[in-house]
Amino acid sequence: MSGDAPKKDHTDDELDAMSRDDLVKLGTELDGVDVAFRRNRWPVEGTRAEKRAERNVAFWFALSGVAGLAFILIYLFWPWEYAGVDDDGYGKYSIATPLYGLTLGLAILALGIGAVQIAKKFVPEEVSIQDRHDGGSAEVDRRTTVALLDDALDTSTLPRRKMIIRTAGFGLGAIGVGTLFASIGGLIVNPWAKGDKSPLWVSGWTPNYPGETIYIRRDTGRPHDIVLVRPEDLDAGSMETVFPFREAERGDDEALFKALRGVRNAVMLIRLRTEDTAKVVKRQNQESFNYGDYFAYSKICTHLGCPTSLYEQQSNRILCPCHQSQFDVLQWCKPLFGPAARALPQLPITVNEEGFLVANGDFIEPLGPAFWERRS
Amino acid sequence: MSSAPPSAAQPDAPGPAVTAVTREAKRLRRQRRLRRRAAGALALLMGLIGAGLLAAALTPTPQVATAQEDQAALIREGKQLYDTSCVTCHGINLQGVQDRGPSLIGVGEAAVYFQVSTGRMPAARNEAQAERKDPKFDAGQTDALGAYIQANGGGPTVVRDENGEVAQSSLRGDDVARGSELFRLNCASCHNFTGKGGALSSGKYAPPLGLANEQQIYTAMLTGPQNMPKFSDRQLTPEEKRDIVAYLMEATETRAPGGYGLGGFGPATEGLAIWVIGIVAVVAAAIWVGAKA
Repeated sequence: MSGDAPKKDHTDDELDAMSRDDLVKLGTELDGVDVAFRRNRWPVEGTRAEKRAERNVAFWFALSGVAGLAFILIYLFWPWEYAGVDDDGYGKYSIATPLYGLTLGLAILALGIGAVQIAKKFVPEEVSIQDRHDGGSAEVDRRTTVALLDDALDTSTLPRRKMIIRTAGFGLGAIGVGTLFASIGGLIVNPWAKGDKSPLWVSGWTPNYPGETIYIRRDTGRPHDIVLVRPEDLDAGSMETVFPFREAERGDDEALFKALRGVRNAVMLIRLRTEDTAKVVKRQNQESFNYGDYFAYSKICTHLGCPTSLYEQQSNRILCPCHQSQFDVLQWCKPLFGPAARALPQLPITVNEEGFLVANGDFIEPLGPAFWERRS
Repeated sequence: MSSAPPSAAQPDAPGPAVTAVTREAKRLRRQRRLRRRAAGALALLMGLIGAGLLAAALTPTPQVATAQEDQAALIREGKQLYDTSCVTCHGINLQGVQDRGPSLIGVGEAAVYFQVSTGRMPAARNEAQAERKDPKFDAGQTDALGAYIQANGGGPTVVRDENGEVAQSSLRGDDVARGSELFRLNCASCHNFTGKGGALSSGKYAPPLGLANEQQIYTAMLTGPQNMPKFSDRQLTPEEKRDIVAYLMEATETRAPGGYGLGGFGPATEGLAIWVIGIVAVVAAAIWVGAKA
């Protein structure tokens, strides 16, 4: 601000004597604001241009009102109940959501445009400059504030009442730790509480007792159907996602459903063409895991646990859609490309005396992504 | 027509009344003539239809030999087409040619229908991924080729309606919800959960399914074209396949719920759209608000 500072103390009489313009001027001066340029946009009232500007603003507000009203009516009366492609009223149903968006969006947009137009067309054009103060408060303000705070603390007598300070710290600390528990406590579990049967070591394919027959079951889209897989079911060059089934679960709908949805239960049952089986290189200790042209591999990627079911029947590769790891079915599903570092675990399979494909024992390694405790 | 209003307006005036009577008589005559002609035409039509029905009823049903002859003619036509368009890569006895094309023994009419009706075969060039394009053969030629391959190699067949037509809308099953469940389990990993397709290894891709008709989806499952695994009728029963077809057709025919689907890929395209279009719009609005009037 240039020149002399404005007078700060005005008596009531002085204020009463001031006009509105004076008060505005006083206010801007007290805030250190200097109005450098100010021009009324319509110095002559009632011109055609002014009328046009007024109609323009009114148009946007009216449009906003109409659109808002349309939104209310559409929301109340437009048919919103689901209708399929072949049902009557599908066309109306399918544009219900876009209509909500269009009408409400238009209402808000028009309101905003109208408000901006008022500022652009009617509020006087103005350039104001405000003083920028130097950083930091005045020395007197700083010292007095510090003294005030110190005084408040001392006169409360708290500094010499250690018992209150300590109990208050105890209470606050307990509440703080308590909230910490509430927010992250659920994340802290002991994954190894069950020893060898801990969840990361086992899957639905782990027998509950030695010699338990675990059948290979397909998902027919109906969780309570039990459809078991026979070796004649798949054509050469096929892949099917299969799940474990044990006789003990027959009739138990919840257990049947869990077997289909268990995190590491999904297994890819692949039937190679016979000429491709001839090219297969088997992994050491897994020579007897396949049954003829049938090979079963875990569907859970060894990188981060995505379902790797993009089986290409000509190139005999399995692709993981998440990070593009590729596994070669002809070589024990070892990774060929991408971030996965370990082969997909192979499930040993055979055919039982009833002619069903069954698991021939559990996986010989943990399924899914790596964790600290696994040794391979 | 004259400008005189209808005679009923002036019943007292004799002149117009007389002309009105003669005009009425003329009109009636015209009507009678018209009616006579229509009746004649109708009688002729009935006669012809009757004769046609009678002829149809009296004509003896075609004997098996005739039908077989039709089939033989179809196979002959198929062989001609095969010998001009397919033999280079698939060999003279369907046995395939090393480094050119696979054997067609056992692929069946279903594979022919899928490959030829989607324009994938004849292939434009020898490569792993044959692309969908305008079919080179019409429906009749596709049938003929299919009959030839079926007769010589055997394999899965096209599903036909009772009238012998290639089944289309009758392939849509009743249980769309189950179809969607099965689609997500068996198909969605490659083709995306609404059938938009997706990437495979080494530049190959699973095609989007929006253009495929019911029979093409069905025969694709049955025959496993290119890198797609096969889904035999013992793995996915015909009923399950029909449910999948029903879901897929429903999914491709349903309009995007928000008005525009942005390719149906989910968060990737939607995020890109909101960043590019939305942020640019917000920046433009901010510039407009701040600009001097």
